Formats: sequence, C-alpha cells, structure tokens
Amino acid sequence: MASGAGVYFDGITSARHDAVVALGDSALQIANAGGQLLAAWPYDDIQGMAAPDDVLRIGRRSTPTLERLEILDPELAAAIDTRAIYIDRSGTMQRRQRNSVIGWSIAATVSLLVVGYFGVPAIAARLAPLLPSSIDRKLGNAVDMQLRGVLDDKKSGPFECSTAGGRAALDKIVRRLEAAAALDTPLRSLVVRRPEANALALPGGQVYVFRGLIEKADNADEVAGVIAHEMGHVAHRDGTKAVLQAGGLSFLFGMLLGDFVGGGAVVIAAKTVLQSSYSREAEAAADIYGAELMVKAHGNPRALATMLGKLGGATEPGMKILLDHPETKARIAAINKIAGARPGPPFLETGEWAALKRICAG
Amino acid sequence: MTSFDSQTAGNNQLSLGIKFLGNRRTYLRLLMRGAALLMVTLGIYRFWLATDVRRYLWANTEIGGETLEYSGTPFELLIGFLVAVAILIPIYAGFFLATLDLGLFGSLSGVIAFGALWVLGQYAVYRARRYRLTRTIYRGLRFHQTGSAWAYALRASLWWIVSGITLGLAYPFQLASLERYKMRNTFYGDLAGRFDGSGWRLFLRGVPMWIAVVAPIAVTVGAFFEVVDLQALADATAAGGDDVMSRIEATNPALASVLVFAMLMGGASLAIGAFLYPAFQALLLRWWSSGLRFGGIEMRSSLRTVQVYGAYIRFLWYAILFAILAGILGAIGLIVIGAVTADAVNIRGEIVAAGIVLIGYVFVALGFSTVYRATVMFSLWQLGMESLQLSGLSALETVKATGRPSSALGEGLADALHVGGY
Repeated sequence: MASGAGVYFDGITSARHDAVVALGDSALQIANAGGQLLAAWPYDDIQGMAAPDDVLRIGRRSTPTLERLEILDPELAAAIDTRAIYIDRSGTMQRRQRNSVIGWSIAATVSLLVVGYFGVPAIAARLAPLLPSSIDRKLGNAVDMQLRGVLDDKKSGPFECSTAGGRAALDKIVRRLEAAAALDTPLRSLVVRRPEANALALPGGQVYVFRGLIEKADNADEVAGVIAHEMGHVAHRDGTKAVLQAGGLSFLFGMLLGDFVGGGAVVIAAKTVLQSSYSREAEAAADIYGAELMVKAHGNPRALATMLGKLGGATEPGMKILLDHPETKARIAAINKIAGARPGPPFLETGEWAALKRICAG
Repeated sequence: MTSFDSQTAGNNQLSLGIKFLGNRRTYLRLLMRGAALLMVTLGIYRFWLATDVRRYLWANTEIGGETLEYSGTPFELLIGFLVAVAILIPIYAGFFLATLDLGLFGSLSGVIAFGALWVLGQYAVYRARRYRLTRTIYRGLRFHQTGSAWAYALRASLWWIVSGITLGLAYPFQLASLERYKMRNTFYGDLAGRFDGSGWRLFLRGVPMWIAVVAPIAVTVGAFFEVVDLQALADATAAGGDDVMSRIEATNPALASVLVFAMLMGGASLAIGAFLYPAFQALLLRWWSSGLRFGGIEMRSSLRTVQVYGAYIRFLWYAILFAILAGILGAIGLIVIGAVTADAVNIRGEIVAAGIVLIGYVFVALGFSTVYRATVMFSLWQLGMESLQLSGLSALETVKATGRPSSALGEGLADALHVGGY
C-alpha cells in the first residue's frame, strides 16, 4: 500500500479537493486527481484531529492554517498512523495525559487541604492583630444586632437583666478581671434573659452572660471563670479570626475545587470539618487564657473547670469531628494543670453573690 | 417538506439535511468515565470532560458530507479558568471587605456584587461563545466571532431586567435581539452570519404556555385582594405581640382558606410548568435554528414536539433505573457504616462513616446529571441537528479563511461564575 484516496482541504478556502495520497519516504505526498502535487507533509509534523470513528483526519502541527486531510480507507489510515508519531488512534497518549491529570489533581487537593488545615488559621492569626480594632467593633455591632433579633423573645421582660445590685456585683467581677488582664479594648458585659447555661464573646469586647449560667453557678468564682474564658476570645480576637477563616476557606474550596454536580456537598463538608477544628483550637486557647487570668486575678481557676464539668457533664452526642468544643474531660484536665497556689479571696461577698443571682428578678 | 421548502428548493440547487453519526452507548461510556474521574479529581477533570464531549458531538455531526471538528484543548480551558480566578480574587476580596462595612455601601454591597457579577457573567457567556466558535472547524476553515463582549453584556443585562419586570413576556424579544447581535458578529470564514427569527413569532407561539403557567398565580392574587380585608390585616400585623396570628384569624376568617388555595394554585402552576417545559424547549429550539443564516445558507427546523417529550420520558425511565441501583448501593453503604460505628464511638469510625455518606451523595448527584446528559442533552443535540434542512449550500464551495483563535478566558470566567453551556 503506497497510495490511496483522500479528501484534502487547503485551509485557505472551503473547497473540497479529491486527492491522491502517497506515502513518501519522509513525508506524505498529497496530489490532486491530475497528479499535481498539492502538499507534502513531513510525518513528524502530522497530527491526528478529532473525527468520527471511521475517519482518520490529520492536520499539521507547525502551521496556523487549518489544512486537513481525511482518509476513509482503513489500510491507508493504519499505514499513516505507523509513520506519524503524533497520531494517537489507540488513545495511548490521551491515557497517559489523563493519568497525569489525575495525579496532579490529587496532589492539588492534598495541598489545598494542608493549606486549609495549617495555612488558613495561621494567616488569620497573623492578619487579625493587624486589623484596626474599629473593624472588630463594627463586626461586633453587626453580630450584636443579629443576636438580639434571634435571642430576644420579647416575652418575659427586657432582654438585658439589670437590677442595680446584680449589675454592681457583675461589674465588680469584671473590674477585677480587667485589672488583671489589661486588655487594650474596654469590655462591655451584660446578663441576658435566656434560660441556657452559656456565655458569648462578640468581636470588639462585648460579653453576654446568659441567665441560665448564673443560675447553674454555685459561687461567683465560677461565673468569673467563664467570663475570663470569654475574655480570652476577646484578647485573641477570635471573632475576627473566624470571619477571616471562613472567607479564606470559601475562597480556597469554593473557587478552586468542587465545581461539579454534587461537589457543593464536598466543599461544605470540608469547610465544616476544618472550621470545627479551628474552633476547638480557639476554645482550648481561651480555656488556658481564662485559667491563667484567674490565677493573675488571685481567683480560683478550678472554678472554671467545675463550671465546665457542670455544663458538659452530660454525654456529648453527635460527631466529634463536627464538635466546635474540645472534649470536656480534656478541657478540665488542661485547666487544672494551671491551677496551683491557693486562691485569694472570692470574687463576691455572700450578699453580692445573692444580688447577682437575682439580677434578672427586676 | 412544507411549502416553504419547495419554494426555496426551487431557486436553489442544494438542499441537504444534517446527519448525526454518534451513538448513545459510546457517549454514555464517555460520560460515565468522566463522572468517575470528576469524583476522583474533585472536579478538576471537568476541563477534560468538556473537551471530550465537544470533540465527540462536533466530530459526529455531518453537514453536507463533512463533519465538524472541535480543536480546543483541555489545557486551554484550564489556563482560562486560572486566569479567571486571578481576575476574580481581587473582586471577591473587595466585596468581602465591603460586607464588613456597616454603612450604606456595606448594606448595599450584596446587591452591587450580585449586579456586577451578573454583568460579568454575561460578558463571559459572549467570550465563551467566541472561544467555542473559533475552535469549531469545518472543511478546513474556522468560525469566528467579532463584536464587543462588554456591549453584549450591557445589552443582555438590560434585557434581563426588562424580561424580569414583564414577568417573562419580553423574553422572546430578548432572545431575538441577543441572537441577532450574536449572529451578526458570527462568521464562517468570510461568510457572515445573521439571525432572521422574529421575536413576535416566538411571543405568539409561547404566550399560551405563559398564560397556562401564570393564570393559577394570577387567580390567587385576585382572590387574595377580593377576600382578604387588607386594612384589618395591616392593623393586626402592626400591633405586634404574640397573638398576631390569632388576631389576623379573628379579623380575616377567610385568610386561612386563601392560603390553602394559594398553595394548591402554586403547586398547579409548577406542575403545568414542568409538563409544558419540553414543549417550550422544542418551540425554542425550532424557532432558534430556523432563524440561523450564513450568507445564502438558510436553515429550517422540522423538530416535532413529541420527539422532545420522548427524550424526557427516556430520562425519567433511566433515572428510575438509576435510583433503584443507588438505593441498593445505599443499603450496602448503610450496613458498612453500621459495622464500622457499632463498637464504641471513635473518631476514625466517624470519619469513615461521614466519608461514605459524602461519597454516596456525590455518586447520586453525578449519576442523575450523567443520566440527564446522556438522555435529554444528547437527544436534543441529535434531534436539533437531524431535524435541520439546509438550503443554499453551494455557497460553501467558495468561502475564504479569516479569523484567529481566541483565548479561553471567557470559558474560564463562565466556569468560575457558573454560567457555562456545552
């Protein structure tokens, strides 16, 4: 088989040329029906192009024009295929390329996960202290507005509890902690009328203590311990960090990965697991800060541990990898390690403590 | 064919159909392999899959004895995507910072971001079309597209607003106007394209469907104003407190039944819309392809609505088969999860269980999408092409090459903004 029929397009006009294709020594010879040479293509300049299964369509690698030659005769096509290395009819080159794509994508995924696990929290931690504290305050005000909308049930009385005696007692605790902590932002603490035993720190230095927490506490040091923990979040600027982390993760996963049907779930899962891990670290750090602050303020750090034991004492259902707090046992152990010398006087006198307990009575 | 065709055939020598040479089985195999690799590479394989799909569809579409060729490569798409990401990073970062601002700009930033990204999406649509056209080769010449992508984006965005305000009544005119702009700037070699479809024609054909979908909602709105005492409703809501609902009930006894009626009518509207959707698609495809012109080459589509319904019935049938398969696999997965998490709660078991659930979800989602692409999208391509009748093909003998390949930035932007097509 030295020659056969083909259809040739010269890439200059759309006219179709019936051609006689001959296999030369180093090049493919394309002639018209009259025997006049139309083109000669060196074999290593020939590339296979997308075509139906029973057609071999070839073009040239080196020219920007779109010269094409189409061969229908399977024997001639096979003969050209064996001479030209850039014809990939068996799909070997394509398979090799596909395997390298798979390899590189897995490497990219691993790299993104590593950046997500170590890089994003590290960047957020470096970036948060550089932001002016006015941003924290703005963020805090926005969160405050939203929280009030969610938490305030408008039924049982005003959202903030503030009987005069109770308010004075709370201020006494906060003043003693603030004196020891020397934060650069003033704290604004308030007791809110909610039954849950909880406390929250907003960016910018607002601390919500829930009424349920005060009811559950047996003495003022336990309340002080929780407030010290929340001050840890304020000092570490955890609220701002969380916003930065969420933004970083959204960008990292939402933009670069997972753009396929069902991929959204993968992105959400990866973000949730990573954010829970960031949050567990932030909580552990706030525990340490709280315990150390209690030591500095001559309070009893073990009170924070006791309080945590009461709150998390019950079984913790759900999946650990999705938990945003570390396990209670581990937290208590870490806090008790810090507690050392005998504590100083309690945070409140008996009368003041009783007043704090009644802060929501008014 | 119809009398129109005999007229054009009378004064023109060539009138030919388009053949589609592909078969569904090969195409499905290509899609299934692609779906598996999408899962493994978390989506990065999409550039390769898109290229494979286009190569297959183009290469198996035969016009006048010659097949189309798609000459784009996955690497071009990948690079286009990366460039698009580089462009979008500062834009996203800017909007992220703006949300931290509490002022007027901060509260409006969401709306501004949506609007800006919408316009950018339209820009991307036009640029992506340019990429696909310049990678489409027929008889040794490429297609190309001129015109300004920003001009198109502005036009398209304004039209979307008009269509939104008119509840879709302006949509036919939007399509006609945008298609005219696209086709006016589309060339095969030096053969200029144009679009002859008329917005009014589509409007008149489509308006009965529009009425069928909108009527139940209109009736509900009418009933609401008829029955409900608006003043009393406003008073009851304004008073606030816990007993708003009971007060509304007391002053507006008919409200509950109106709400039930509204839900029923909303459901009816959705059902009618879903039922009519294939007919709408058939109408659109027929109208659009019958309006395409290249120089003296004219096209006419004889697509029948019942064929499009056939494609959707096939989809439903395969979707049910796939759902059964997924159900069996899901049951096996649950048994495995049970075995892993049976003994005590440990963190490794949890990760395995979460992983299985996640993989199961992605498998199901990708599966349905693959079934859809192998049935509805494949059939629409095949039917759309095979129902076309071309006249004036003698013009093809003398077309000259012009135009250069364009970058894949538009494809990348379209991908990053989720406005992609084929």
